[in-house]
Amino acid sequence: MRESIIDTDIHPAANPKHIAEFLPQPWRARWEMGNMGSPPLGYWNPNGVRRVDAIGPDGAPIASDPVHLSKLFFDPYGIEYGIFLTEPHQVLLTPEPDFAAAVASAINDVMIQRWLPVDARFRIAMHVSPVDPALAAREIHRVGDTPGVAAVMLPSGARMAYGDRYYDPIYQAACEHHLPVCMHPGTEGAGISGAPTSAGYPGSYFEWHTGLVSSFITHLVSLLAQGTFQKFPGLTFVLVEGGVSWIPPVLWRMDKNWKGLRKSVPWLDRLPSEIAREHIRMTTQPIEEPDRPGALQDMLGMFDAAKMLMFSSDFPHWDGDTPDFAGRHFKGELRRRVMSETAREVYRLPPPAGD
Amino acid sequence: MIRVAAIDELPPGARRLVQAGQRTIGVYNVGGTYVAVLNACPHELAPICLGRVDGTTLPSKPGEWRWGREGEILVCPWHGWEFDLLNGGRCLTDPRALRTYPVEIRDGAVWVAE
Repeated sequence: MRESIIDTDIHPAANPKHIAEFLPQPWRARWEMGNMGSPPLGYWNPNGVRRVDAIGPDGAPIASDPVHLSKLFFDPYGIEYGIFLTEPHQVLLTPEPDFAAAVASAINDVMIQRWLPVDARFRIAMHVSPVDPALAAREIHRVGDTPGVAAVMLPSGARMAYGDRYYDPIYQAACEHHLPVCMHPGTEGAGISGAPTSAGYPGSYFEWHTGLVSSFITHLVSLLAQGTFQKFPGLTFVLVEGGVSWIPPVLWRMDKNWKGLRKSVPWLDRLPSEIAREHIRMTTQPIEEPDRPGALQDMLGMFDAAKMLMFSSDFPHWDGDTPDFAGRHFKGELRRRVMSETAREVYRLPPPAGD
Repeated sequence: MIRVAAIDELPPGARRLVQAGQRTIGVYNVGGTYVAVLNACPHELAPICLGRVDGTTLPSKPGEWRWGREGEILVCPWHGWEFDLLNGGRCLTDPRALRTYPVEIRDGAVWVAE
C-alpha cells in the first residue's frame, strides 16, 4: 500500500481577477485600478520565489490552476491531502482594516467556490487579516465550518507578537470552529508589520530569509509566555515553514528561565516545553541540511518529533522539499507520524482509505 | 555514443536534451566548449536542465559587485544552486557536482557517451 502523505504547506495563487469578482465596492474598484494593498518589501531573490519549472504544458503556473495542481503535483507525488496557504499574503497586513478583511474574505470565496470543488484532496487554511482581530473572528464565523476549511492562516509579519491578548478574538473563534491556527513567514517587513528583525532591516534577501527564524522565535515565546494556551486550551498553533532545529534549544532556555521567573508568569503551571508539546506543531520545510547527517537525527531526538512535526513541501516555492527528500530523514513509526498522521489529527482529516 | 545534433544545430549558448535509456542528458555549447550533464541536480534530483544558464556575481569584497562567467553557470530551477559548466559541473556552494559525460565531435556532429 502506498504511503500516506499529507502536505501541510502548499501555495496556490488566487487569480486577482477572481478575487475581484468576490470583492464588494469600493474595494473592487480599487483592486481593479491596480491598488492591491501593501506590496512585499522588495528584496531580490535571484531565483524568483516560485520555481521556474513549476509550469503546466499550457504554460500556466501549476499553482495558479486547480486542475494543474491536482494532476501535476498531487497525483505524481501521491499527496493524500494538501493544506493550502493561498497567495497573496502581504495584503493581510495592509493598513486599512476593512480593505484587508474584505480581500481575505474574497480570497476565501475564490478558494471555496473555485478550488475546493475540483479535488477532494484540497483543504484550505482560510485567510484572515490580523489588522483587526474582530473582523478576523467574524470571517472565521462566516466560513469556518465550510467543508474543506481546515485551518486559519496568520502571516508571521506582525505589529505585535501573537501571544498579545489583542489577538484573542482570533483564537476564540478558531477554537469555536475547531480550527488550528497556522502561521506562515514571508510578510516580515510588509505592510504594518514591524521591521523584519528586532534590529531593523536586513541588507539582502539572504539575510532577511535566514533571519525569519527570529520572527518565529518571537511569536512562539510570546504565545507560551502570555498564556494563550491557558486561555484557549483547545488551540493548536502550527509554525509553518519556520525551520525545525532551533526549537529544542529555545524551549530549553524557556524551561530554564521558568524555573526562576515563574512568579512573573503565574499562569504557567508547568514547563513551557510541556505546553509546547501539547499545543505547538511545526512543519518540516525548510528542513536543515547539516554537513553531518547524524546531527539532524540527534536534533530529532531533542523534542517530541512524532507528536509535533508534520511534512510540508512549500510547493511551488524556490526553497521547497519533495516528499522523498524530506521523508528520508524519518524512519518507521516516526515517518508515519511526520508524513501523515500528526497532520491528520491537527487538520481533522478522514482516516486513510481502507482503514 | 548518442548523436546529439549537427554542429551547426548546437551553436554557442544552445542546449539540447537527449534521452539515454531512463536518463536525460543535457548537452550545452558553452562558448565553443561542449558539456554534457545528467538532468538531475545532485541536491534533490530536480530537472536541472530546465534551469537557466547565466552569469553570476564573482567573489568580491563586501559592498563590491562584479559580474562574470556569463553563459557558464547552470542554475537549478528549484533551489538556485549554481553549477560551473566549464569546471566539471562543480557546484559553487556545495561539494556535490553534476554528473558529466564525455562529448565527442565526429562526422560534423556532436556525440555524447552515456
